Amino acid sequence: MTHTTWTTKAPDQEIGSGDASRRPRARSGPLAGIKVADFCWMGVGAVATRLLADFGAEVIKIENRKRLDMPRRLPIYKGEVRSYGAEDPNPDPNKGGLFNNYSRNKLGITVDMADPRGRELVLELIDHCGVVTENFAPGVMERWNLTYPELREIRDDVIFARMSGYGHSGPQAHYRSYGPVVQAVSGLSFNSGLPGREPSGWGQSYMDNQAAYYNSAGLLLAIYQRMLTGQGTEVDVSAVEAGIGLLGSDLLDTVVNDRPSRREDYPRGNRLEHPTAAPHGVYPAAGDDQWIAIAVFKDQEWKTLRTVMSDPAWAGEARFATAADRVANADELDAALSAWTRDRDKHDLMHLLQGAGITAGAVQNSRDLAEHDPQIAARGTFFELDHPVIGPALFEGFPGQFGTSKPDHWRSAPLLGEDNDYVFGELLGRDRATLDRLSAEGVI
Amino acid sequence: MTGARVMNGASPLASLTVVELAQSPAGEQTGKCIADLGAHVQKVEPPGGVASRHTGPWAHGQEDPDQSLEFWAYNSSKNSRVIDGSSEEDRLRFAELLADAQVLIVEDRGWLLELGVDLDELLVQRPDLIVVSVTPFGLTGPWKDYRTSDLVALAAGGTLNSCGYDDHSIPPIRPGGNQGFQLGASFSWCGLLLALIERERTGRGQLVDVSVHESNAVSGELANPYWFYPKAIVQRQTCRHAQPEPTQPALFECGDGNYVYFALILAEHKAWKSLLGWMTDLDMAADLTDPAYDEIAHRQQQFSHIQELIEVFFLIQDADTIYHEGQRRGLPIGRLNAFEDLPHDVHLQERGFFVDLPTPDGDTVTYPGLPYRFTSFQTAPGRPPRLGEHDEPARSAHSGGADHG
Repeated sequence: MTHTTWTTKAPDQEIGSGDASRRPRARSGPLAGIKVADFCWMGVGAVATRLLADFGAEVIKIENRKRLDMPRRLPIYKGEVRSYGAEDPNPDPNKGGLFNNYSRNKLGITVDMADPRGRELVLELIDHCGVVTENFAPGVMERWNLTYPELREIRDDVIFARMSGYGHSGPQAHYRSYGPVVQAVSGLSFNSGLPGREPSGWGQSYMDNQAAYYNSAGLLLAIYQRMLTGQGTEVDVSAVEAGIGLLGSDLLDTVVNDRPSRREDYPRGNRLEHPTAAPHGVYPAAGDDQWIAIAVFKDQEWKTLRTVMSDPAWAGEARFATAADRVANADELDAALSAWTRDRDKHDLMHLLQGAGITAGAVQNSRDLAEHDPQIAARGTFFELDHPVIGPALFEGFPGQFGTSKPDHWRSAPLLGEDNDYVFGELLGRDRATLDRLSAEGVI
Repeated sequence: MTGARVMNGASPLASLTVVELAQSPAGEQTGKCIADLGAHVQKVEPPGGVASRHTGPWAHGQEDPDQSLEFWAYNSSKNSRVIDGSSEEDRLRFAELLADAQVLIVEDRGWLLELGVDLDELLVQRPDLIVVSVTPFGLTGPWKDYRTSDLVALAAGGTLNSCGYDDHSIPPIRPGGNQGFQLGASFSWCGLLLALIERERTGRGQLVDVSVHESNAVSGELANPYWFYPKAIVQRQTCRHAQPEPTQPALFECGDGNYVYFALILAEHKAWKSLLGWMTDLDMAADLTDPAYDEIAHRQQQFSHIQELIEVFFLIQDADTIYHEGQRRGLPIGRLNAFEDLPHDVHLQERGFFVDLPTPDGDTVTYPGLPYRFTSFQTAPGRPPRLGEHDEPARSAHSGGADHG
């Protein structure tokens, strides 16, 4: 590539952000040395590239000051309780907790792609990085002439990871989607609820997370392949298809056995058809809207549960004798068990039942997870990082432990444009005067 | 033939041999993810087969270990080897199998021990081996011996607290499809790939200790940030985001009895204009054409009235029409597809998503393909194996790679 417009930084010039602890540094982890020009935004893309940033990749998040990333706008602020829809009309882009959660360990730059000077910088950044990620609506990268063949002209070994609701081919590729739409279309909302009622679906954008994890895997596989062969690839992941892949044997029961899923006894709520299990459900516990899940699969477990309950007379009745009996009389069984659980603390009950060898779990909320779950605490699942505007905050880490591939949590999410000087100055060689001019003219 | 079908290119996993000791969707799906993309996954089963082979539903109602759809769902593209831990000869076979492998997926170290292998010793003896352990709560910590199921994983991990109905006399409702386990599988699969990359750089393997509980605990989307920042607990609401406060319903019943999901964000002027134009075209806009509705504040004041009109507007149309016409008008509307709808979806058909999967009987069935389209290589799932199908002639087939196509 040639650069005719801009002078390069003289070696002795000082360019960098004010807070030394936030300055980009060499990273550790299996992905150290991997660099990503990251166009991702919203939830699914940001979560996908977060895994790369956690494990050492230099993920450079490309933002546009004129169109703030939605998680920067969403009012999940310290000390202010607002619902998702009650958006702050004049948000501080550096205050959003969701953005902080999604973009930790990443660098942040701002650039106006509509300005030819902005585009020039981005092309150079792509050449520098060699991995490009995006989850725009189909057509955006095409409008910028940043398709895979065009990216390969910049770098033959480029990895181009595309993440969208419907994938980049087919008649509905341009359909608008976000988590709940993907869940609806893929069948993941239909299969959740009580029989005879409207679907209860999901209380979250489940597919923003699950599609993100599949996108992370696709990216890791592409990186692995390039390490083995030197060859790049485009990878196009469809969230709807990832969702269908998660439906499991209920889907096969319909497409293999022609058994309609639109039927009176489906979906089944908290009960199972396969394997036979009873009691199997969510039962009330002491307190307002507190619950415990109990799953009994084997006769021996039922005997144990009877013992734990001090063998009440109802539990010895013939109608609950075998698994088939208990399933046939599940309504009565659930009512009787609920009477036993109702006044007990959900955590005490969980430990009592688990201690006896019965599969049970308190329905935990986020306060329980963060403050009362000794397993999360012992494993260090949540960790804390400081942030210049937000202050110290908790984050959700990788849900497992590695022998050697440790995550490298070096910094909370970037302030808007925080790393412009580092990326455009130190990495791409623009001098101070050029950076000031680009900034003043709104290019970066 | 089992094994992933290679459509073009060469899979970067083609030279990878994996031994899998798994019988829940967490470990089985981990193995499936890499098997469908070309890795050679040797599924070890006890005599009689793993638990998933004994779980329905059954293909055409045949209660047979080779006809379990639960098994088919999570075990495509794998080989099956029956190994009896009580047989000295079989334990030797297992040791040979493991010696040939670069990755071990394991759910239960007790089962591994029955096959003659202590996990800690194995990690010392095989520093090059990647061991992916996926367990209910992880290998360490005060709850490490606790048991789980899909329902319990969703409950303890927090997801269940967000799912259910507006009516809170109804308990939280488990979303279908073993998603509690699936979340564990997603992280096992990513952890495995991270470990492969590390080994490529250093030559070292390692233990990847994934917890299904933690996988759920980090996947609640807004729930944890709402606690981490404003210290709010989200409340479940029917088929829409759990929030600190109740929001408007987003699920609409249509004239044909099906449902669509549509969350109208009143602050989005473009979406409002699009919806209004659509309602006007069908002569259903009523008083919403009043210029007062151009103001966001007025729309917000009148939200329940607007919501009622939208309910009626959707009730006079069928879900398919609403879905496609709404999307044509740029609105993010989703039809709540039932399973029988999916193979008929023209978009999925054009992308070739569903594949004809051969069955152990030589029949073919419709099966979901992969959500990935790589330009450098492409594979499709191969069929699930019959119990013990690859026991003989195991070694010769392995060395020639003839049992994969």
